[in-house]
Amino acid sequence: MSDCHDGCNGSRREFLSGTLKLAGGAVVTVIGGAALASSGSSAGAGAPLPGGGDYDWNEHLWAYLVDTTKCIGCGSCVRACKAENDVPEGFFRTWIERYVVGMDDSHVDSPNGGMDGFPPVQVGFVATKSFFVPKICNHCRATPCTQVCPVGASYRTKDGAVLVDADSCIGCGYCVQACPYGSRFIHPATHTASKCTWCYHRITKGLKPACVTVCPTQARQFGDLKKEGDPVRNVVEHDRVQILQGHLLTEPQCYYTHLDKEVR
Amino acid sequence: MEHGKHVFRIVILVAVILAVVVLGRGLLIPKTYGLYGRFRGANVGEQMNIRPVLHAGAAACADCHGDQSTKRSAGAHKNVSCEICHAPLGAHVKADGTVVKPPIDRSFTLCARCHRKVAGRPARFPQVDLDQHVNGPVEGKVCLQCHDPHSPKP
Repeated sequence: MSDCHDGCNGSRREFLSGTLKLAGGAVVTVIGGAALASSGSSAGAGAPLPGGGDYDWNEHLWAYLVDTTKCIGCGSCVRACKAENDVPEGFFRTWIERYVVGMDDSHVDSPNGGMDGFPPVQVGFVATKSFFVPKICNHCRATPCTQVCPVGASYRTKDGAVLVDADSCIGCGYCVQACPYGSRFIHPATHTASKCTWCYHRITKGLKPACVTVCPTQARQFGDLKKEGDPVRNVVEHDRVQILQGHLLTEPQCYYTHLDKEVR
Repeated sequence: MEHGKHVFRIVILVAVILAVVVLGRGLLIPKTYGLYGRFRGANVGEQMNIRPVLHAGAAACADCHGDQSTKRSAGAHKNVSCEICHAPLGAHVKADGTVVKPPIDRSFTLCARCHRKVAGRPARFPQVDLDQHVNGPVEGKVCLQCHDPHSPKP
């Protein structure tokens, strides 16, 4: 009796565990199959973009180039970006930082993102150099911000722009925290993540981003790494360029020349 | 045969789970999700047309304002886009063709943003030390009384 009891119990346990494993396997297979099907269609990404007109994102790979020695800190870029993209007050998709550096200390400021220019500054140390550094989303190749998005609202396009789908964004703010450059914010009206798009509505029509269009000193440049002879490509290809926070391995596509050690 | 009932129950359970998963995916995942990657594919096209182009660039201004444009291109302000001082073209000529007179900023602040001598500007860029300019401090005085913004001379 006791033998049978133990035996029966044992076989039932095995049976149930086996069946449940099978069931679990079936569910995983179905979900995996569905995921494969969707990733399979992404392989055919050469298909024309919905609503994209005659723009082919396979033909471009955009990059941004900043020469910090040319920036005069006028803030025209910040004002143009604000107007072009309807950026809410107190938030910035691009901004300018001023570095006042001495041997013993350094001072960084960005009053209202540099939008109204920069006032004279008094520092409590002997300043030996000072310069402006325009900042913008780095549109990283290995971007942490899209990796942490739990709903697939943040993504990188084939032509290299990191964008946010405001319809899918749930406003959790993970991407805002993940970005090491402080390029993202939660829009106060829509409560979704917002950031620089490299003016995707302009660059896909053959124009430059608004900040580059208005820059009076060509401190900001925008170009196509897939285009032979492109000025930005030439610099990235042949000159010595730097990136911000390279140790984080985010592979920024915003390149700098003449950066100082103080700039992060 | 004594296990038949159990098998039936588990098959039903699995079928229900599958139905919920398939139905849930259908309802919750947007149509074009996964078309190009792990995002809603239709959004790329939406981003391209998310808003009208506002800044058209200096060349577009020259279509109507040739004289000022030629003058500007010959002077020291040749790289200063019209839209920096005159606001974006999109605010001047609306999408339907109506023309709105743009505000013309003649303020000291506008000139000072670029030319006031402050820490940070490259030394080779023309800057004005307000305390020493002309006959003493000039803050608040209108620069345009002496300087022509379309073809400025020092």
